[in-house]
Amino acid sequence: MSDTVEITMDLSWRYASGEAMGRFCAGLRERRIEALQCDGCGRRYLPPRPFCGRCRRRMSHWVEVKDEGTLVAWTVVHLPILDGRTGEMREAPYGMGLIRLDGADCTVNHYLDLADPSRLRIGARVRAEWRAELHGAMDDILRFEVLS
Amino acid sequence: MNRVAIIGTGQSKHARRRDDVSQPELIREAVRAALDDAELTPKEIEAVVLSNMELFEGRMMPELWAAEGAMAVGKPCMKVATGGTSGTSSCIAGYHQVASGLFDVLLVVGFEKHSEGHTQTGMALTDPFWDRAIASGALGNFALSISQLIEERGVTERQAAMVACKARRNATRNPHAHLQIPDITVEQVLSSPMLAQPVRLLDMCPQSDGACAVVLASESIARRRCPKPAWIQAAVTRHDQPFLGDLDRRLAAMPTLRDAARVAYDQAGIREPLVELDVAEIYEPVSYAELAWYEALGFCNEGEAGRLIEDGVTEMDGQLPVNPSGGVLSTNPVGASGVIRVAEAALQLHGRAGEHQVDGARRALATGYGVYAWADVMVLGSEP
Repeated sequence: MSDTVEITMDLSWRYASGEAMGRFCAGLRERRIEALQCDGCGRRYLPPRPFCGRCRRRMSHWVEVKDEGTLVAWTVVHLPILDGRTGEMREAPYGMGLIRLDGADCTVNHYLDLADPSRLRIGARVRAEWRAELHGAMDDILRFEVLS
Repeated sequence: MNRVAIIGTGQSKHARRRDDVSQPELIREAVRAALDDAELTPKEIEAVVLSNMELFEGRMMPELWAAEGAMAVGKPCMKVATGGTSGTSSCIAGYHQVASGLFDVLLVVGFEKHSEGHTQTGMALTDPFWDRAIASGALGNFALSISQLIEERGVTERQAAMVACKARRNATRNPHAHLQIPDITVEQVLSSPMLAQPVRLLDMCPQSDGACAVVLASESIARRRCPKPAWIQAAVTRHDQPFLGDLDRRLAAMPTLRDAARVAYDQAGIREPLVELDVAEIYEPVSYAELAWYEALGFCNEGEAGRLIEDGVTEMDGQLPVNPSGGVLSTNPVGASGVIRVAEAALQLHGRAGEHQVDGARRALATGYGVYAWADVMVLGSEP
C-alpha cells in the first residue's frame, strides 16, 4: 500500500542585482530604459548584463533606448500563470509579446494591451504604458499598447 | 576516442500520476528493465549519470535520494540538470566518460515525478529582476516563437494538428507511452481548448511521471554482450545566452539545433539526413516545434516542413518515420524525456521496438531541446 504526504511552505529569497541591473532599475524610476552595448560586437543588450556572452568581454558602454518599439512576436495566453515573485496566480487571458525597442538589439518579453486583440500583428508599433508610481522594477511598465 | 554503444534500454510505466511508487521505486523500474535488457548484473555497472530537474519535485540532491534505486551506491555518480536537454545531455556526458576510456559500462538514468511537485514553480524561478515580473512560462514562450514561425514559414494550425495526431497514433503502438488517444482526429485537435494562441491543448505534451535508463558500453563489452549494439556515431550539445529576447526567432532560426545537427552529421558522415537516416526520435514538446525541427535538422528546405507532414514523409510508413514512440507529445517526464529519445532510437537499432519497430532501421537520430533553446543531437548506427 502506497500513501502520500502533503507539505506546504512559505519561502523567501534575497537576490543581489549587480551593478548593471542596479543601474537599469534605477533608470526605470525615471522612465529611462538603458541598454549595455558591447564594444566588441556592437550588440545592445536588454536586459543589460555585465558580460557579452558572444565576445566574452565586460561591458560598460551604456546607451538609452526608447520606450517605443516594434512587435516581433505575440500571443494571447489563456491559462493563468504563477507569478514568480509573489507565488500568486496571474489571471488569464493576457497578451504577451516580444518587442524590439527602438535602439536595442535584443527583444523584450512583456505584456500586451488586449483592448483590441485584432490589432496584434508582427510589425505593429507599440509603446510602454508606465505605472503611475515607479519603484524601479520591470513591472514599472504595466504593458505595451499597440499604436498602429 | 574509444567506440561506445548502447547495449540496453529500460522504461518505467509512464502515467499522469504514479502514486503507487516513490521516486527510487520509479527509477528502479527503468534501471531493472535496462539491466535485464542488457543481461547485466548491478555489479557490472561502473558509474551512473542521473538526469532530473530537482526544482520540479522540490527534493534536493536526487543523486542522493535516488542512489539506491539507480544502483549508484558506492559508484561514481553525477547529475545533469539542463531543463529539456537534461536526458540527452546525460547520455552525452555518459558517452564522454566511456569514450574517454574511464569506464567500460555506464548507466544513464533519467526521471521526473511531476505529479509530486510544482513544475510551474520550478519554471517560474528564473532571473529575479527581469523574467519573474514578465514571464509567460514555457507555453507562452513557445507561442511567441510559433507566431514568428507562422509568419515566416506559413505553417498552418492544420499542419501542426497533423503532427499532434501522428504522435498520438504512434503512441498507441508503444506500450510505454503515457497518452493513449487512439481515435484522435485533426478536427479534435483544432477544437481542443486554446491555451496560448495558436497553441491548443492537444498541440502540447502532457506532464508525466516516469523514468528511463540506458546502458552504455565500450566496444569490447558491446561486441561480447549485445547482438546488435547501437553505436554512438555522433554526440553534440549546444547552449545559448540566457534571456528570452537574446535569441529572437528561436523556432524559425534555432541556431543551436542547426549547428549541433551540422556538426553531428559531419561526425557521422551524413550528407542527406532524410535519405540516410532510417528513424528519428526528436524532442517536440509542442506540435509546431516538430515542424520547425524538420527544417533545423535538414529534413527539408525552409518553408517545406508543412508539406513533409502533409505528404506523410514522417509517418511510420514514410521515408523517415519521426517519433515512432509517440514522442514528447505523448510522454513527458522531463528529466527522462531526453533519455527516452536516445533509448527509443537505440531500441530501433536493437530491433526490439515491437509494434512500433521501423523495419531494418540501421541509423537513428535522437535530439534534445530546452525552452531556452539549448539543443543536443546524437546519431546512432548499426555500425561504429
